[in-house]
Amino acid sequence: MSIDVTGVTKKYGDFVALDNVSVTLPTGQLTALLGPSGGGKSTLLRIIAGLDTADSGSVHIEGRDATKLPPQKRNVGFVFQHYAAFKHMTVAKNVAFGLEIRKRPKQDVQAKVAELLDLVHLSQFAHRLPSQLSGGQRQRMALARALAVEPTVLLLDEPFGALDAKVRKELRDWLRRLHDEVHVTTIFVTHDQEEALEVADEIVVINDGRVEQVGSPDSLYDTPANDFVMGFLGDVTRLGGLMLRPHDIEIDVEPGRPGAVQGRITRVLRVGFEVRLSVETADDAEVKVELTRTHAQQLGLVEGGTVWLTPAVGATTVVATQPVPA
Amino acid sequence: MSSTLDATARPTPPAGRGRGRRPARGGRPTSRVASGNTLSAGSALGLGIALTWFSLLVLIPLTAIVVTASERGWSGYWRTITNEQTLAAVQLTVGQALLVTAVNIVMGTMIAWVLVRDRFWGKAILDVIIDIPFALPTIVTGLVLLGLFGPSSPIGLDWAYAPQAVFLALAFVTLPFIVRTVQPVLGELEKDVEEAAASLGASRGTIIRRIILPSLTPAIAAGAALSFARAIAEYGSLVLLSGNKPFSTEVVSVRVLTFIENGSTSSAAAIASLMLFVALVVIVLLDLIQRRVSRRG
Repeated sequence: MSIDVTGVTKKYGDFVALDNVSVTLPTGQLTALLGPSGGGKSTLLRIIAGLDTADSGSVHIEGRDATKLPPQKRNVGFVFQHYAAFKHMTVAKNVAFGLEIRKRPKQDVQAKVAELLDLVHLSQFAHRLPSQLSGGQRQRMALARALAVEPTVLLLDEPFGALDAKVRKELRDWLRRLHDEVHVTTIFVTHDQEEALEVADEIVVINDGRVEQVGSPDSLYDTPANDFVMGFLGDVTRLGGLMLRPHDIEIDVEPGRPGAVQGRITRVLRVGFEVRLSVETADDAEVKVELTRTHAQQLGLVEGGTVWLTPAVGATTVVATQPVPA
Repeated sequence: MSSTLDATARPTPPAGRGRGRRPARGGRPTSRVASGNTLSAGSALGLGIALTWFSLLVLIPLTAIVVTASERGWSGYWRTITNEQTLAAVQLTVGQALLVTAVNIVMGTMIAWVLVRDRFWGKAILDVIIDIPFALPTIVTGLVLLGLFGPSSPIGLDWAYAPQAVFLALAFVTLPFIVRTVQPVLGELEKDVEEAAASLGASRGTIIRRIILPSLTPAIAAGAALSFARAIAEYGSLVLLSGNKPFSTEVVSVRVLTFIENGSTSSAAAIASLMLFVALVVIVLLDLIQRRVSRRG
């Protein structure tokens, strides 16, 4: 196993950033550390890289104890949210940095840099300064720079966080394809569940300094361990003491199904192909239901209409212990 | 803090002032000014006002100096600036100014580093005290130095009327320049850039040499230019301690004043024009060095 984090605790004063975290991250995979801001995921990544030190616990990288190693000796590539470009060096020099300080022969460095710039599609920008690149290009340069030293693990801290939505989506797809090409063990931190579900082989959900659940995107989505994971990975609503996804509710205009709950439609919102309903029942002030536009038209749903709600067969449900997040 | 910098930087020549301080600047010109005659009315007005002001304050007086200096013809000019006593004064002034600037480059950068990167008791006080050489009237500086390094020195260092006195006075008045130009740039350097270098395997020394110093070079060069310009112009703080002995401790500004007092304005102007040339050469050299170093990485 590639990275073993065992019993890591990190405190900043009274604030507990990581509370006895143990997690194993598999070799050759793309793993997402997912969680809300301030949940400790970036701290965990920085501890793996050696940029922060844990108060207690250990970190093993490829079987080697790295707990006390400085970042220089860990052979990890790190990509920062705000690129951390060397502003006074050209793109090519940025990428070459790690190789040059390792005193590699000049031709080798040049060949490697050319290969990497080609990989990140920046060959024609080799002689530009970082300030002459767009955000997405700068981040690709940072990625090439990190990959140049052939790291054992590649760590990305909210790599697309500073980019606009469209570039973000492009880079996300591109990272996935790059990983399929390069196969370096990659861990990236994100607070965007869609990003994690789309890109990662495996997701570690971190909240309040603890690991909530580890698993594949599908298993996390289909069988969340608790209501936090359920709520964080997608929209949730509450129907008679159960938490479930709004699209997992069957809606009928007449009673009939066993266990159906009667309610009144208080709001109808159409967003593209989708119709979102708010339904008021005797137990719950607002049950959210989502269905396709065609389905809604067939049923003839209007505000004020009476409907019957049932959890769909095979729906992911969790017994609600917390109020529904707003 | 920036207000003290502005206030104190005013008496120095505006040529090149502050240009080199932008940390993001690379060697390549990335001009945002539209080319050709496409200035808008607002920019044209701004440029006009700036040029008029600059001409009134700097260009016209400087031209007047050159004109006055040429009054007695080329041979008179040449005789004045090749006069042995004048040459000795120029040599002393430029030599000591260069030496002081070199010392400031090291000490000023170090003080700025300590003020930005380290936490220690009394840091805020030190940060304020750094500006005292700016704030003190120069003649008061002279008195302070005379008291400490004069004939009745409490620490037993009698440097009065010796060339060291010139160095001491210049070092005192120019200390803040590099500290104050480097400090904000150092403060704005992103921590993650150094972390990125570290995770790529760079040692602390390599990070300082290849990442931090090149980013600071424009600021250091700007501070060094200010420091040199101030040093070759200094008068008040060194007259008391140096004693103005010809061929030993007489600096150019004293020599110029002597000529003026003797009614020989054209000789004074001749030396002034020589110093103007020296200042230009040094400022251009610093700019060239700065461009080189900050591109090296």
